[in-house]
Amino acid sequence: MNRSPGWTVALAIGLSVFLALGLSAALIAVTGFSPGAARTAIYTGSLGSAAAISSTLLYTAPLLLVALGTCVSSRAGVFNIGQEGQVLIGALAGAWVGLRLAIGGPVLQVLVLLAAAIGGGLWAGLSAVMYRWRGVNIVVSTLLMTFIAAQLIHFSVAMPWFLQQSRGTKLVVAAQSNQLPAGALLGSIGRYPNLQVNTGLLIAAGLTVMIAVALAHTRWGFQLKVVGLSPGAARHSGIRIARVSGLALVLSGAFSGLAGAVLLTSPIGTHRLQPGLSGSIGWDGLLVALVARNRPMLCVPIAFLFGVLRAGGNFLSATGVPFYLVDVVKSLLVLALVVPPVAAQEIDRRRLRRRLHGSGLAPVQGAG
Amino acid sequence: MNLVSSTEIVLSSGVRLAAPLAFAALGEYLAERAGCLNISIEAMMLGAAFGSVAVASTTGSATLGLLSGVVIGAVIALLHATLSHRAEINTFVVGLVLNALVLGLTSYLIATAQFDSHQVAQVSIPGLRDLPVIGPPLFVERWPAYLLLGLIPITWWLVERSRWGLELRAVGENPAAADVSGIRVNQRRRQALLWCGALAGLGGAYLAVGEVGSFTQNMTAGRGYLVIAAVIFGAWRLGRTLLGCALFGLVDALRLALPALGVTLNSQLLAAAPYLLALLAMLLFVAKSREPAALAQPFRRGAD
Amino acid sequence: MNQTADRMAAAPALSVSGVSKRYGPVIACDAVDLTVNRGEIHGLLGENGAGKTTLMKILLGLVQRDAGTIAVHGVTTEITSPQQAVTLGLGMVHQHFSLIEPLTVWENISLGDVGRIDRTAICAQVDEVAARYRLPIDPTARVSTLSPGQRQRVELIKCLRRDPSVLILDEPTSVLTQAESAELFSVLRRVVKSEDRAVILISHKLSEVISATDRVTLLRHGRVVHQGVTATTTVSELARRMVGREVSLSVDGAALGVLPVGRPDSVPVAAAAPSTPDPAVAPALRLRRLSFEGGVGLGPIDLDVAPGEIVGLYGVEGNGQSLLDAILSGLAVPSAGTIEIGGRVIDLRRPGALTRGGLGIIPEDRYRSGVVLDLSVAENLMLKSLGEVSGRAFVSRAKLNRRARQLIKDFAIATPSPDTPLRRLSGGNQQRVVLARELSSRPRVLVAAQPTHGLDVGATAQMYQRLRMVAADGVGVLLVTTELEEVLTLASRIAVLSRGKITGLVPVEEASPERLGLLVGGMAG
Repeated sequence: MNRSPGWTVALAIGLSVFLALGLSAALIAVTGFSPGAARTAIYTGSLGSAAAISSTLLYTAPLLLVALGTCVSSRAGVFNIGQEGQVLIGALAGAWVGLRLAIGGPVLQVLVLLAAAIGGGLWAGLSAVMYRWRGVNIVVSTLLMTFIAAQLIHFSVAMPWFLQQSRGTKLVVAAQSNQLPAGALLGSIGRYPNLQVNTGLLIAAGLTVMIAVALAHTRWGFQLKVVGLSPGAARHSGIRIARVSGLALVLSGAFSGLAGAVLLTSPIGTHRLQPGLSGSIGWDGLLVALVARNRPMLCVPIAFLFGVLRAGGNFLSATGVPFYLVDVVKSLLVLALVVPPVAAQEIDRRRLRRRLHGSGLAPVQGAG
Repeated sequence: MNLVSSTEIVLSSGVRLAAPLAFAALGEYLAERAGCLNISIEAMMLGAAFGSVAVASTTGSATLGLLSGVVIGAVIALLHATLSHRAEINTFVVGLVLNALVLGLTSYLIATAQFDSHQVAQVSIPGLRDLPVIGPPLFVERWPAYLLLGLIPITWWLVERSRWGLELRAVGENPAAADVSGIRVNQRRRQALLWCGALAGLGGAYLAVGEVGSFTQNMTAGRGYLVIAAVIFGAWRLGRTLLGCALFGLVDALRLALPALGVTLNSQLLAAAPYLLALLAMLLFVAKSREPAALAQPFRRGAD
Repeated sequence: MNQTADRMAAAPALSVSGVSKRYGPVIACDAVDLTVNRGEIHGLLGENGAGKTTLMKILLGLVQRDAGTIAVHGVTTEITSPQQAVTLGLGMVHQHFSLIEPLTVWENISLGDVGRIDRTAICAQVDEVAARYRLPIDPTARVSTLSPGQRQRVELIKCLRRDPSVLILDEPTSVLTQAESAELFSVLRRVVKSEDRAVILISHKLSEVISATDRVTLLRHGRVVHQGVTATTTVSELARRMVGREVSLSVDGAALGVLPVGRPDSVPVAAAAPSTPDPAVAPALRLRRLSFEGGVGLGPIDLDVAPGEIVGLYGVEGNGQSLLDAILSGLAVPSAGTIEIGGRVIDLRRPGALTRGGLGIIPEDRYRSGVVLDLSVAENLMLKSLGEVSGRAFVSRAKLNRRARQLIKDFAIATPSPDTPLRRLSGGNQQRVVLARELSSRPRVLVAAQPTHGLDVGATAQMYQRLRMVAADGVGVLLVTTELEEVLTLASRIAVLSRGKITGLVPVEEASPERLGLLVGGMAG
């Protein structure tokens, strides 16, 4: 026995991350920019100062929320890929409540978050209903629903009677909503020198612990696991599969919806509902969960890494490197983190087979 | 504008919008019959659209651009096949990552490079182009569009009549049984994916160097997903799938034409229509569907 | 031994020598020698797990051997893929998973060919082969519309059309009625006698091998323990070699696939129970007009199982057993009819209602609903009674493990620890986990569907012992099985299931293989 598989995997991941970063640097160099400058810019924008870290954390929160929801649904064997749409619907519901309810203070904040969670949850619930009713594939339906959701946002901010911003004296009205009232916005928690810790992050962190504990130690977590691993055994042992897996999907949507509300109310954006509000946070959050292999605690560092790339990306423009670089880096990193564990398993299997061939039994050619 | 000419305009633009979908749908249809539901078709189309413009600009030949689109689509397909069959990563995960990668890469590159505009030649069929209403929409096209006339029967023949197609269908329905019958399951699936990549590439390239003549960031804008919707809408039958593409193209054309025609209908509703139609088709025609039994299920010999 | 039989005129059709294969620490085949001559039906006998299937997979190119040589017609060859096996003339008649339902018969038959498809030629060929072997089939029919017997015909034709020199059949009779089995063996006889082919018949049933084969090779723990002419051996000799110890056919007969010769000396309570249940006592289990539409279809079925009684539900595979199993496992809801347990009607739409009502079940396919391979032994044991080891929300690991340890001890489950993933346990121990869990909730009725499927002789005998004990405790046992020997040994009354319906209900003392065979064929006994 030489190396343990854990070591092999760690080594493979290290190598492929190195490769991913190398490829990204090569891309920057080939297009005539300086990889060093880009690296510095990303660092400055994401980790270089307290303000930069604050901005990274602002992105981390919604990413983490989406990823947490994904962990829940994936545990139950439900492959939800419609987070992007659920984020948007969450933001829509949150914006509607925030702009329509004439109340102030923390109550409004809570209501906005709640409405967003309910909105995202119901949107995902539609897919669950379609599956239950007609066996419509969840992957396909959540995917299609994402595009419907996007159009719904366009629609809502294009209709004056719905959420389009009020005309006032303006000649041209943009396709966006009014700004949310200050009372609905999420503020910072505590006071640190220059560092902002947004309530959104606190919510995400609290929910991470809750979900991690719930998945590992509660009956509900156990049921999710059984449903995900063996629907037959789950059904046989009296678990209401449709309810458990449907609820998992709804919960996943609710987390995404919550992420939408955090995007809307924390100081990342413009505090307006806009078609581009999500900025692919939903897709990225899904990738976070994939990389973390559906483990809530592991989602935290991965979401932070993705946050670093997003926040750092905003600083790239100073160097002339297009923002999209971070999307390339992100995708390559995902590949680098996802492929090695699976590939290492495959290599181990082959090596085992080879070793057995050589173990005192005559080697056979053409085998393997 | 009179009714005839506006119908002609909408039809023309509908055909032009449907053609890229139809190319890609031929590929996705075949791949799904073999059990591969690849959402990376978006990456194939987008990558090919970018590549075709880049190559057309460097070589000055739109035709070469079109060809390179086919190659790029196939290369992405190969990457998908390698990751999902050899490394055995979930096909949806592979698709998501490839889509993100290609979107990021093409967006980055188009922001750092300048390309000349090149477009393939337009060919009109004498005689037929003078037909009223349907003449210009159907018989005045960029030449690659006419390839569809050949590719549709070829795809049908491949799937329904060729030995390869029989084996693809077997693999899509029951991979374990196909395996013991002596068919190399993952090889067939890889081939199906390659075919899909090549055609999706052709569709993406046609969009770029065929219809538009240039590349813009995220040019395909979810057309790949629309293609998947078309196959679902078609309940895994070729004719209906193509009908879906035509319908989606027309709806898109209507959406673009309505303001000019002075009709106020909700454009967002029309933009969502293809996805709604695909969902409705799934809800309503379950029984008539020919969904392959092993769709999106990986195969490994000996794994029960 | 048997020097005469080993003297060959020409090179044998197939000759395997010193073939070994191991999976991790498990040796599936250990230097196996096998010689199959032209013109003979060669039985490959062994209990479950003896290495028969691995050997066949090696011959078919599905698995690569670690060592040894294979010669076909005297020529040493490598078999690296199923395609190559076909070219070499090795043809397998598969029982399961090898026909593609939405495709037609001729399409299925032509799978694996190369070159252009010529539908007319293939159909003509199918008709020709079908006529030659008297296996009538419509080449244009969709496989999904065919009965199990017809599907087997398709498999046979598919194999014979390739003109194989060696035909391999793996447990072919499990899906056939006795009449269909007899027909199959007469076809095989024609194949070997008039066409000089060789047939390898893989089986774990002694009686079948004795009656249908010319020579027999016996595997045990991956080794060849006997090879010889079938006619010169006896059932008891084969049985002894198969199990590796002296066996009594009256005790272990059924486990070996031999009809019971007289009852065991210690007649257990179950067998002594009256053949006609006392109407005054509420039956442990009562199925009333139970039916299910779709698939093969089921019912309406009426059946009572009295407390302390073992009732056998016998039939050939694919006649509705799976549907009944799914209904009793709570996986499917019947389209009509009721299930009563101890006189109480169960609301079948509620998940887990059968369990709460007092029904335990050893399901036919334990991987589908019986166990979760990726959960631990303890979690599997407590799968249905999680409430006992958890509070309102949280599962108590300590309680879980304590309860599990007790069950592991009571049912003699061999596991390193309660936390071991179930995947690591042997088939027999996995089955014990299922039994322990189902019995731990003290059911009124136990349904055992193919409870010995895949178990070796020792584990099978233990399972029989356990089922008798359960019945002796007053639990009603419904034994759903396709093994004639099993049902004749255990049950006091035998209901026969044919095409989803019960065609007869006979007390065991009036049951004979012939009578049950008629009922299985759908005829009144």
